Amino acid sequence: MNIHKLWEYKEYVNVNGATLNSEIISLLQNSLTVLQVENHFTIVQYWGQIYATDLDYYIAVGLTNDALTGKKYFYTTDFQFWSLLPRPKKKYKELSLITTFPFRGDPSLKIKVLDESFEENHPDRCRFMKEENRLAATISNICEEVEICARGQLIKRPDGSITINPNFYGLTATEAKELKSYLHMRPAQHRWNTNLLTRPDYNYSMDFLDSIDQDIPKGCWNLSLEKTGSVAYLKSLYWPGMSYFHKVKTSDAGFLYIGNGRKNLDVPFLI
Amino acid sequence: MEKNLCDYMLEPDIIAATENVMPDLNNDLVLAKNFLKQQSAATGDTLYDHLVDVVQKILSQKPPDVVDHFEQYSWQVKQEKFRPNFDLLNDVYLSPPQLAVVRRIEEMFRLVKSKAEKAEDMDEEEQELDLEEDNVKPRIADLIDSNYYFKECGFGLPDSECYAVYIALNMLAIKEPVSTVRFFGKIYGTKENYYVAETELTLEELDRRIREFELKDMPGEGEGIEEGQMQVAEEQKEMLGEGEGKEEKPKEPVPPKLPPEPVSTWQPPPEIPVERPGQGVNKKVFWVCNHPGEQWICLPDVTPDQIRVARLTVRCMTGNLDAEVQSFPPFEGTERNYLRAQLARIQAGTSVSPQGFYTFGSGEEEDIDLEEGGGDLNFNPNPFYHGHSMKDLLDSSLTYWVHHGRHILKQGRTLWWNPNAGMEEGEEEEEDEGPPPLEPESGPPLFTSLSEDSRLEGMTAWSVRSSSSLTPERAVAALRSNLWPGAAAFATSGQKSECMYIGWGLKFDPPNYGPAQLPRPQDEYPIGPEVMEMADPTFADEEAYRIAHLPPPPPPVLEGEGEEFGEEEDEED
Repeated sequence: MNIHKLWEYKEYVNVNGATLNSEIISLLQNSLTVLQVENHFTIVQYWGQIYATDLDYYIAVGLTNDALTGKKYFYTTDFQFWSLLPRPKKKYKELSLITTFPFRGDPSLKIKVLDESFEENHPDRCRFMKEENRLAATISNICEEVEICARGQLIKRPDGSITINPNFYGLTATEAKELKSYLHMRPAQHRWNTNLLTRPDYNYSMDFLDSIDQDIPKGCWNLSLEKTGSVAYLKSLYWPGMSYFHKVKTSDAGFLYIGNGRKNLDVPFLI
Repeated sequence: MEKNLCDYMLEPDIIAATENVMPDLNNDLVLAKNFLKQQSAATGDTLYDHLVDVVQKILSQKPPDVVDHFEQYSWQVKQEKFRPNFDLLNDVYLSPPQLAVVRRIEEMFRLVKSKAEKAEDMDEEEQELDLEEDNVKPRIADLIDSNYYFKECGFGLPDSECYAVYIALNMLAIKEPVSTVRFFGKIYGTKENYYVAETELTLEELDRRIREFELKDMPGEGEGIEEGQMQVAEEQKEMLGEGEGKEEKPKEPVPPKLPPEPVSTWQPPPEIPVERPGQGVNKKVFWVCNHPGEQWICLPDVTPDQIRVARLTVRCMTGNLDAEVQSFPPFEGTERNYLRAQLARIQAGTSVSPQGFYTFGSGEEEDIDLEEGGGDLNFNPNPFYHGHSMKDLLDSSLTYWVHHGRHILKQGRTLWWNPNAGMEEGEEEEEDEGPPPLEPESGPPLFTSLSEDSRLEGMTAWSVRSSSSLTPERAVAALRSNLWPGAAAFATSGQKSECMYIGWGLKFDPPNYGPAQLPRPQDEYPIGPEVMEMADPTFADEEAYRIAHLPPPPPPVLEGEGEEFGEEEDEED
């Protein structure tokens, strides 16, 4: 969520009951505006909160040019010093799905991860991971799987760069009721013509991302219209702290994650 | 040559060529305009009109950085143009989609308002008799107030929902026979969400339900069923036996004699009795609705078995109370019962308050029941509670927070029920089943401190945070459960505390859920030589057998049949 719109979005944010209180919004706006200036970001977004036992992590994203690949993630525990998260490594992304320990709140903490798919005495069976790396990997996992946007919110320019669409007027009420109108914010994993031609009103500049209705299993996304049908909420069963809202027929939309950073692998049993 | 050229030239060109004039700006403009005005064969549009529209739109709307998004604009203009014109249908008024919701809520408001007016009249008329009236009036927990504090802690319902729910609670208090009403929380479902109210019934209603419960729970029924089953089993056995007897006669090759079919020795474990309404897990009655303003629906009482099965499965609510619940240990009932079982579990696990907020009894009967370990005691808000300091409430050991939800035992009851107690009078069979008296299960007593909660892989069951770091004097202590994500509680340094649950109704279970294993299949026959695999006899064995069993030489006529019968009999021996 754009940090300069947090006050307006306050009423819409609700992730499993968790909301933003006035103090957090004020602190975020102050410290993140400074961060934006220091790093020359065009937009700074509040990404969410990851619960830890001692101190919770707060995550922010800075965008420069490209809305998909040019993202920089920052974290803090005290709203004063925002630290850049390291690049998520593939190794850590796998390990962070295996580990069951809760986050501690200390980025330099080293945790031991036991990978039981390896045999005993295998050198990779027991590996170490810094909590900072785990945080980066977890966030990258979440973004890849459940960070979404409404169709038309991001557009591909003729030169191939992807930007936030300034002329996004929001989905209509009928569009907002369909999972097909929401797209994954990640480099597309399906073929480009699958994404494009599965809808009758295709548009080259909008339909370059994967839509979430193709996710497996069906029903892993929960779409509900609330406030007498004017706000669409999307929740993922895989990442229970994830929430996306979109106010119908306006450009207001936001993604937020507030949770413990654990993927829920029980989804097939839930539905 | 010139003539040829003329053929290909258009009219203005001819003029230019023949009159040999200098290029004229006006002429060029006309040419360009003509080109732009060419109609597209497919749509009949011209580029000229389109550009006019685009320029007009840009100038009238004055958007920033037009040049960067020019394509977008052009596309929008085209899209608007293609929108079909519904002039003919313009007279048909389409009501806004909010109408249905508004109708429902309006009805609720009207009801609550009329009640409020009536109450005012009553107050004016008979102030002396008011004391009695007050006792009858249901107590409604102030949701708006507690939601304010929850929001301070970064939790709670949005304002718009909160008010509607509060009015809906009032409606519940008016319509149904309840004595206290409290907002329990919100349970997400895949299609609809549930709002849950937790109530206590009025005394008359409670009496009525207890009487109904006792009528339904007359002893003897269960035994009857068991006997019936036994009879059926016996009959089946007889049938099988008869069948064998009939088949034996007509067929020539005698089938090998089957060993007796085994009888299942499995006895269903004694059914754990349900706690009566107003007691244990059924102390509170829960009401749910999908939207505030709809009719509140009362959830049925929960049985111990339902709690046991609910603990073994994971499932999302759908939002439909009559949806089927498919789980491996089969769940008895629909989503209605499942929801109730989950609510009982959540309530038992996440009802917390600062120490001393509640007290046993109402102050008069304190010393009577303490021996029971808080099993089924009543507790009430403590009138002498003055709050703890923020420092104590925020202490990470959580010694100043206590549970006020009764622990549910493994049996699925809060009070332990001795399965042997009833059986001593009953049949003889049970005597060999339970020789040592079972050790009663016991859970932590009521008002146990949260510091004694079990830990999950190095994670405490609860995390406590202060709502504000800048203004400690108006901070609120916020507690959130790690075991039941979505459960939260707050306490001020004053006298306010409340807990609420907003979530999926799923427990956080660190190693992922694995469905319970199927029980081992039972043996069809008791293990014996007839059903065991054996090595085939070798040729030497057969030869030895044949020689040993050579028929006595004198009767040579009946060879064939005689041999067969002989072999059969021998085998069986």
